[in-house]
Amino acid sequence: MSTRITKMLVNWRVLLLVTLLLSSVLAIKPQIFSVEGVEIHSMAVSPFLTEAGLSNPSGKVMPTARERILSVNGIETGSVEDYYAAVSELRANKTYRIETNEQVYTILAPPSADGSFDLGIKVKETSSSNLRMGLDLEGGTRVLLQPASEISEEDMGTTVGSLKERLNVYGLRDIVVRSASDLEGNDFILIEIAGVTEDEIQELLAKQGKFEAKIGNETVFFGGKKDITYVCRSADCSGIDPYRGCSPLDAGYGCRFAFQISLSPEAAQRHAHITQGLKTISEAGSCYLSEDLTLYLDDVEVDRLRVGCELKGSSTTDIQISGSGAGATQADAMTNALQNMKKLQTVLLTGSLPIKLDIVKIDSISPSLGKEFLENVMLVGALALAAVSGVVLYRYRKIVIILPMVLVMLSELVLILGFASLAGWNLDLASIAGLIVVVGTGMNHFIVITDETLRKEAEAIDWKIRIKNALFIIMGAYVINLGSLIPLFWAGAGLLKGFALTTIVGMSVGVLIARPAYAAIVKILLEE
Amino acid sequence: MLQKLKHIYETKYKLLMIIPVLLLVLSLMQLGIQYKTTGDFVNKGISLKGGSTITITKDFELSPLELEESLQQQFPAADITVRTLSSAGRTTGMAIDSGLQDTAEIDILVKTISDNFALQKGDYSVEVVGSSLGNNFFKQMLIALVFSFLLMGIMVILYFRVFITSLMVILAAFCDIVITLAIFNLTGMKLHPAGIAAFLMLIGYSVDGEVVISSRLIKRQDGTELERIFGALRTGWTMTQTTLVAVLVALIFVQSEIVKQIMLILLIGLIVDAIVTWIQNVGILRWHLEKNHKKHLGK
Repeated sequence: MSTRITKMLVNWRVLLLVTLLLSSVLAIKPQIFSVEGVEIHSMAVSPFLTEAGLSNPSGKVMPTARERILSVNGIETGSVEDYYAAVSELRANKTYRIETNEQVYTILAPPSADGSFDLGIKVKETSSSNLRMGLDLEGGTRVLLQPASEISEEDMGTTVGSLKERLNVYGLRDIVVRSASDLEGNDFILIEIAGVTEDEIQELLAKQGKFEAKIGNETVFFGGKKDITYVCRSADCSGIDPYRGCSPLDAGYGCRFAFQISLSPEAAQRHAHITQGLKTISEAGSCYLSEDLTLYLDDVEVDRLRVGCELKGSSTTDIQISGSGAGATQADAMTNALQNMKKLQTVLLTGSLPIKLDIVKIDSISPSLGKEFLENVMLVGALALAAVSGVVLYRYRKIVIILPMVLVMLSELVLILGFASLAGWNLDLASIAGLIVVVGTGMNHFIVITDETLRKEAEAIDWKIRIKNALFIIMGAYVINLGSLIPLFWAGAGLLKGFALTTIVGMSVGVLIARPAYAAIVKILLEE
Repeated sequence: MLQKLKHIYETKYKLLMIIPVLLLVLSLMQLGIQYKTTGDFVNKGISLKGGSTITITKDFELSPLELEESLQQQFPAADITVRTLSSAGRTTGMAIDSGLQDTAEIDILVKTISDNFALQKGDYSVEVVGSSLGNNFFKQMLIALVFSFLLMGIMVILYFRVFITSLMVILAAFCDIVITLAIFNLTGMKLHPAGIAAFLMLIGYSVDGEVVISSRLIKRQDGTELERIFGALRTGWTMTQTTLVAVLVALIFVQSEIVKQIMLILLIGLIVDAIVTWIQNVGILRWHLEKNHKKHLGK
């Protein structure tokens, strides 16, 4: 027996499986021991947090590596309730210390009329692993918007479309945007987003996003596809302005951004017509037109640009748009400038909404039946595994077959979850369905391998050929399934993408790594 | 008894093929009638079709699960689900989703709930919600399925280099989906988006069985044809058994209605797939092999 175990341990297929298994466990990083503090979920954009050096956690950080608050003003925050109790004690016009697992921050609570102070940091229980759950499993933000005035069905459609596009441009995942109405016939728009701060959404949604570029009192172009044919978002023609960059201000720093856009011929014609009538003035050795190009977002001036004399009367289609952002440090200013740029690009791309929207309600949703659901799914998984083991035990009556079968199947599951952690997938119901398929077909394939190698007719055949026969069947089933899954990537609403992706990755891992390893183990254990 | 069945299976395979053909014809009829009477091939649930959400912002001592069960009993056709709402780590209320879109019907539901919990007017709000998926979702789904079937067919031809197996795999996947859908409609349940995934999962399970038979029957030469069929049947039966027990366990113990639906669809689908694979496809293959055999003898 011991020689067989040694043989197994040096088999490259088994070794590959074990190595990847260990890496997957490292990637998932299950937190077996309880972790101190509460995890920062999101924070409002407020000057006192920025000055203290606190910023919104990036979505790219692995869940277990996110910053945790250990104490607020000396009071330990062991649970979410502790934290909110501690925060409710804070008052305006004082200095507080917030200790996290990374550093200690000093916060100056600004004065307020009624003496109250809202820290604006939302927390949640620390993540128990690096797996990320989707909106239907973990919850998220739900926003109800109402049009400020009557809206036609067509405008409603356009609004829903533009909002979706806007949120997508902004890089948010897992979004549902749909129209809704109440019993009195009022129209609403309902938006659901997994794990995003309320403030970010608020700012993006409530704005009508009316962009206007004016010279004097005349409009040269509006945001949207009619006037703007192209908005550059790649690094070669958008980003921090290389000529003006960042510079210190009275307090903190300011950075300039710039990006290229292309105008439609009609908008370019308007530009030519308007600039034709302007005077030229000379300033510090350069020649400019008498009026500036002023950019407005929702009727607020966001930037003012000088126009060079060479553009007088020209119907130019290529225009550079610029603006700025400020912050306490140079890095903050740069981040802010880039964020402002992204916002501006978004409204230029998607145009303004046909109507102004008011936020009626904004709340965080808990998952459908919450933790209960996940625990139940795990219990059912364990019971199903026991039942399946019973069936194969009854069929083969050999523990040397059942044990590796169950172990390899479990390792397949761990490999997929490890991959999901690394890739930052949001696991939702559809991907759980994908996991069930993978485990189910995996079991099928273990049975195929076992039958192909142990059936009576195969006794005369060499072991190598037996395994080759088995792997032929498995490979066949794999490529055919691949064919059926690929088109699902493009089928509506992104609903099936999670399913297709999980199934494809899971089957690939199973067929290429885990199942051949099982075949090798069976051969080593049962070969006479 | 078992011997008799085995004998029928061995000798009367062409006659037995009437069963799957009949099932397919009946299913297509069911889908046709369903479409004619409701305008859809399937009973769509609230998230596919739209419905209403009642949000209660008052504390009360009932778990969402209990509330859901009691409401489901009182309104069996309304497709009710209940979830908790929370903010800043505290439970702030409950949301009751239902398939109801008609004002009068929603009023009855609201009245039942407010009577039960002594709710005042300001304690709850009602929204009627549109569908989360576009109207053309099902059309897109069908197009994607056609491509799925085509790609599967191409893969089979490339892999086995025999046209008949390609036809078999596609036919089996098609029959599995159509017959299961028809039976699902007869249960009166409403389809949730995740249920769509369940129908696609059937393809994965069906392919495994088809590939086992095709490999054993076409690529192998050991033993007689019938021996090979029974060898494949043994493997296939173990495969079906393991999946069946897993699905049954899940069906009994899982709490989530959505996962329950996935399991129910899989259960129906697996039984359908067994019939389609072991009667229809084995029949087609044997017929094909017999014809080839005769051709060889003729030469």
